[in-house]
Amino acid sequence: MATVVSQAPLEEQGLMRVLKSPRTARILFPFAVLAVWYFIYYTIDSRIFPSPQQVLEFMWEEVTLTSGISYGSVVENLYGQFAISIMRLTIGFFVALIMGTVIGLAMGISKAADAFFHDWVMAVLAMPALVWALFLGLWLGFGNLGPILAVILAGIPFVIINVREGVRNTPKDLFDMAHAFGVPQNKVTRHVLLPSLMPFFFAAIRYAYAIGWKGLVITEVFASDRGMGWTIKFWYDAHRAHGVIGYALFFVIFALALEKLVFDPLADRAFKWRPKIDVVEMAEGDFGAVASEGFLLQESEADEVVSMKSMEGEPRDG
Amino acid sequence: MATTLEQPAPGARSAEEERLLALQKRDTRRKWFWRIAGYVVVLGVWEIASGTILNENLLPGPIRIIETFPDLIESGRFFSSFAATLTRIGIGFGLSFVIGILLGIFTQSRWVEGFFKDAVTISLVSPGLIWALTGLVIWGFEPQGWIFAIVMTTFALVTVNVAEGIRALPKDLIDMSRAFGVTNTRRQREIVIPFLAPFIFTALRFGFSVGWKVTVLTEVFSSNEGIGFEMRVASQLFRMDEFFTWVLSFFIFALFLEKVVLQRYERKFFRWRAEVAS
Repeated sequence: MATVVSQAPLEEQGLMRVLKSPRTARILFPFAVLAVWYFIYYTIDSRIFPSPQQVLEFMWEEVTLTSGISYGSVVENLYGQFAISIMRLTIGFFVALIMGTVIGLAMGISKAADAFFHDWVMAVLAMPALVWALFLGLWLGFGNLGPILAVILAGIPFVIINVREGVRNTPKDLFDMAHAFGVPQNKVTRHVLLPSLMPFFFAAIRYAYAIGWKGLVITEVFASDRGMGWTIKFWYDAHRAHGVIGYALFFVIFALALEKLVFDPLADRAFKWRPKIDVVEMAEGDFGAVASEGFLLQESEADEVVSMKSMEGEPRDG
Repeated sequence: MATTLEQPAPGARSAEEERLLALQKRDTRRKWFWRIAGYVVVLGVWEIASGTILNENLLPGPIRIIETFPDLIESGRFFSSFAATLTRIGIGFGLSFVIGILLGIFTQSRWVEGFFKDAVTISLVSPGLIWALTGLVIWGFEPQGWIFAIVMTTFALVTVNVAEGIRALPKDLIDMSRAFGVTNTRRQREIVIPFLAPFIFTALRFGFSVGWKVTVLTEVFSSNEGIGFEMRVASQLFRMDEFFTWVLSFFIFALFLEKVVLQRYERKFFRWRAEVAS
């Protein structure tokens, strides 16, 4: 019985096989969304709910600058708003990356630093971006500093946690061996520490960027007079659903493009030296999570755990 | 591991173990010292910064926030706000959780996986703000608006975790059940779901940690009660002491739920599986 079932799709030819392939399903998805959209459009009792054509038309006019809408004297159009948001995001992101790496390295190397920072890193990690947005808006007004600080605050915990995790996961025996063979320190850093940190560092970049973006747009709603977040709020306040949905789609397109065009190729490069990336997936999920600890215990041999434990007794920073 | 062969009698400790234990004890003591130092430094800087670097009304110190707490409880809005927000989370995230698990289980089929692949990516990478505003501009203050926002932001987290579990399913058990002609429903109930349970718990915790934030965000835009609403009112009236008290009380409550209650429950639930309970 079982063999018949599993072989059936192979025997099918032509149309059925194409229809049953996952790729077809993936292509079908946007059409399904359109169908649901039309269904809501014709059933919902809302005068402002737009049809897909209206939204597409709006987006086209925004992209080609033919809508005749000016958002302000300084930044007039979609591209100006976008450029401002990207600038804020990039500055905040690099500051978060540098500061986070320093703190993360310190926490990975010294247990004292780890104990000192750990709870506060977790607290910042769990704080909603909304809180930063409201507070920074009142404190710093509508300038650039507020949104940039929001990006830093949103992104830095991810950098810290991933870098710390990376330092901790560096194979100790490699260090011992390098030490035994008298390899100079800078070579050890270059060939042992950095490559094994790489996947974690990469996860940090990816997440800090994505979370920074999310924090940024919320802050721009409450503490800015320009930028992408402000613009979508502009259409919300104007009560124009086609504007809100159109800009929401711009956000989605931007995020997807970033994933597919920037981070996926970068990931391929960063992991060229190792065949699998399970470790990164683990670090992504590790925000004090149980799953990763389980993973670690599963992966390491039983006697390795014992030897690690006995090593923990010695102060690593001493 | 050769030592396991000649285990000493329980109770008797060798000198080596004695030494390790002492080291461990010293380590714990040192860890707690630095941990407390961290609290003292951060809270101290905060307390000193309030009134010197920043205006005391803009950044009230921790002491003033604690003093505001009883006033908030006396005002009577405290528990009703908590109840309103928790109801929203319960309805919104509850629905999202069910949808996420169903989708995750259905991704056992490659076709369904392909179909929802982009939906999951979009939900993971786009900010909760756009779902909140989209839902609210379409449905206004009606519940569909915020339900839409919460579901769109959190279902993918649940789906991804459940799908991860499915990928790790013990294939040999499933093959064996197939070979012995076990029905599909029974296979799902007795192999798939028990195996997935830890992944579902992880999904619950991650989903909740994102879910309560987007819930609060929707309350800012479209509610006249709840924590988010109170936060917005307090910041608009420039009552920052009240603002921080709302933030911290709900923050601590959410962390408590997430880290203590769920984690403890998870541990109790999975005592039979050592590597999960860790």
